[in-house]
Amino acid sequence: MRRSDRVSVLVPLLIMSIGLGVLAWRSYELSARLEDGVNTLASQYAGYAADITARRTDSVVRNAIFEASEEWQQIERRTAVPTSASLEQWMKSNEWISSAIYVPDVDPTHSIFVSEPVGRHTNGTRLTREFYTSSGLVRYSYDPDRLLERVQPVLHQQPLMQRAETQPQAQLAIVPAPSKHGDARLTDGFAYTAPLAPPLSGYAIRAFVRTAYGSSGWENARYISVWVSVLALALTALGAYLALHGLKREAETMKLRGALIANVSHELRTPLSMIRLGAETLKRSSKLTEKQRAEIEDAVLREVLHLSHMVENVLDVARIQNRSTKALAFTPVYPRELVTSLVSTYESWITSRGFEISLQIEEAVEEQLWDRDAVSRAVLNLIDNAVKYCGDTKFLGITLRQSPEHVIIDVQDRGIGIAAADLPRIFDPYYRAQFSDTQTRRGAGLGLTLVQQIMVSHGGRVEAESTPGTGSTFRLLFPRGSASSLQTAPALAEAPQPF
Amino acid sequence: MRFRTCQIVVAIVSLLAVSAQAQEKRKCTTPPAECERIIRQMLSGRRYLGVQLQELNPGLSVKSVVEDSPADRYDLRPGDRLMAVNGKSTRDATIQDFKQILGQAKETGRLWIIVQRGGILKKIELRMEPYTKAQIDKIVAQHMAEAHNIAAAPAQR
Repeated sequence: MRRSDRVSVLVPLLIMSIGLGVLAWRSYELSARLEDGVNTLASQYAGYAADITARRTDSVVRNAIFEASEEWQQIERRTAVPTSASLEQWMKSNEWISSAIYVPDVDPTHSIFVSEPVGRHTNGTRLTREFYTSSGLVRYSYDPDRLLERVQPVLHQQPLMQRAETQPQAQLAIVPAPSKHGDARLTDGFAYTAPLAPPLSGYAIRAFVRTAYGSSGWENARYISVWVSVLALALTALGAYLALHGLKREAETMKLRGALIANVSHELRTPLSMIRLGAETLKRSSKLTEKQRAEIEDAVLREVLHLSHMVENVLDVARIQNRSTKALAFTPVYPRELVTSLVSTYESWITSRGFEISLQIEEAVEEQLWDRDAVSRAVLNLIDNAVKYCGDTKFLGITLRQSPEHVIIDVQDRGIGIAAADLPRIFDPYYRAQFSDTQTRRGAGLGLTLVQQIMVSHGGRVEAESTPGTGSTFRLLFPRGSASSLQTAPALAEAPQPF
Repeated sequence: MRFRTCQIVVAIVSLLAVSAQAQEKRKCTTPPAECERIIRQMLSGRRYLGVQLQELNPGLSVKSVVEDSPADRYDLRPGDRLMAVNGKSTRDATIQDFKQILGQAKETGRLWIIVQRGGILKKIELRMEPYTKAQIDKIVAQHMAEAHNIAAAPAQR
């Protein structure tokens, strides 16, 4: 891949990364500011809610105490001489009072004392209050916890919250007065404690405002923003990798195309030169013997056949790759008949090259639904390869057999073989194994590509086994099925797309 | 005759039951010792004056004075009209106003009262005192007798 290509991909990605980085930084900064703002609001609201609720509580408590004294004054006015029954009645309507004594001015020794029933006694603290009446003095002790029960409705009123359906923002509770009042930052929010006024100065209102920013977990927007940025950068890096990878493949394809043009033009020029030379010789030389003339004609014919074979290969590959033309013509074919006729057609040519042919055919192979021409071309390409890449031992083995799932055609040679590194790529278009021998052998690098594409079109596959110096075996595996069971011709299968 | 006797018996039993129920109603369920503790705690150390006032519309006068109380000892007498207490005029005051002044002087217990007795103004300086032990004992005994049916123990001085 050229440096300029790399730059052309990396520069936009770098700009995108910088843009993302700036966005992420800005998002982080905004989250941090938002967090500060929310924290300030939350702590202020906690303080406000606690203070307001404490004052409301004070008011409720003061009212309760005042109403109790007023009620007693009314009882006193109604009854000339208060009795224990009236004191008891007064306590019942002020259930937070646990015991009371009325001391009349006229004679303190005639005081009335009433204590609440035993069952209501608790071990809690008791506070004492007194008030003067027109005819005496009432002192009473009360349970502050019971008095504070009257305050519960106040705790459900959110200060500043207009709508009832709004979720409470502050959790309000009555707590024993802590040694230190004021605000406190907790792990998941803010709390503020506001003391109550006397007589309940031993108690305080605690408001707690929960905020996600108080936490350090996934709820915190700042952390989310950081992780999203990391994810975005990782995705950008992945994109860069994929773009570079694609570019590399593109460059490779371009290189292969260049190789094709060079290769094909070379391959076309050689037989054309031979044909032109032969034709010119035949035309101009009248003194040629019959034998010489026949040799030249044979040579011209051979070159024409070779040229035609190569052009067919190129056209077939292009056609199957583009998938733009008609589907293959599937017709019932006897594989045995196809292989034997193919071998008999090319036997003289093969044996003329000094090859020994071994043909093994299982009798039981059933009739198949194949494209006869395409399968013949595939087998012929393999035979051509075996002949082309021959070694010292000139052997060609062709086997036709069938397994429970496949009809198999093996083409075996004892030629130069294929290196293990090249094996995975031999089916790539225009690929030719890079060693010195191949440069002396003619071909466009399309034969095996065509074989593979034909096999894929038939729903089968091609396998290759090879040991350098010992030979290669190419195995065509067709899915097994009798011609009668295949009613419709399969459409052209998806061929691999190398471009 | 017999029928009348039965009627009388039924009436007596009903009366006893009703009175017992009434007594039961007033009965204090708090243990006596607890009641005594609370009463003593509530009254000990509390100061009192020992006068009963009446409103004259306008003004206040002493209706009665508790025997052996601070008011009695400092020579407040029934019929005295209160003109001022602790520097505040009580010429037009109500009992509530007076009690308010009393409440303010609760801590020190000191009172300066100007009374009008027989057309003559008299300044009385006195100090409210705590209830005596005998008074508290009496209050406790009274509660025990009324609410717990416990006979009063002989007063101990």
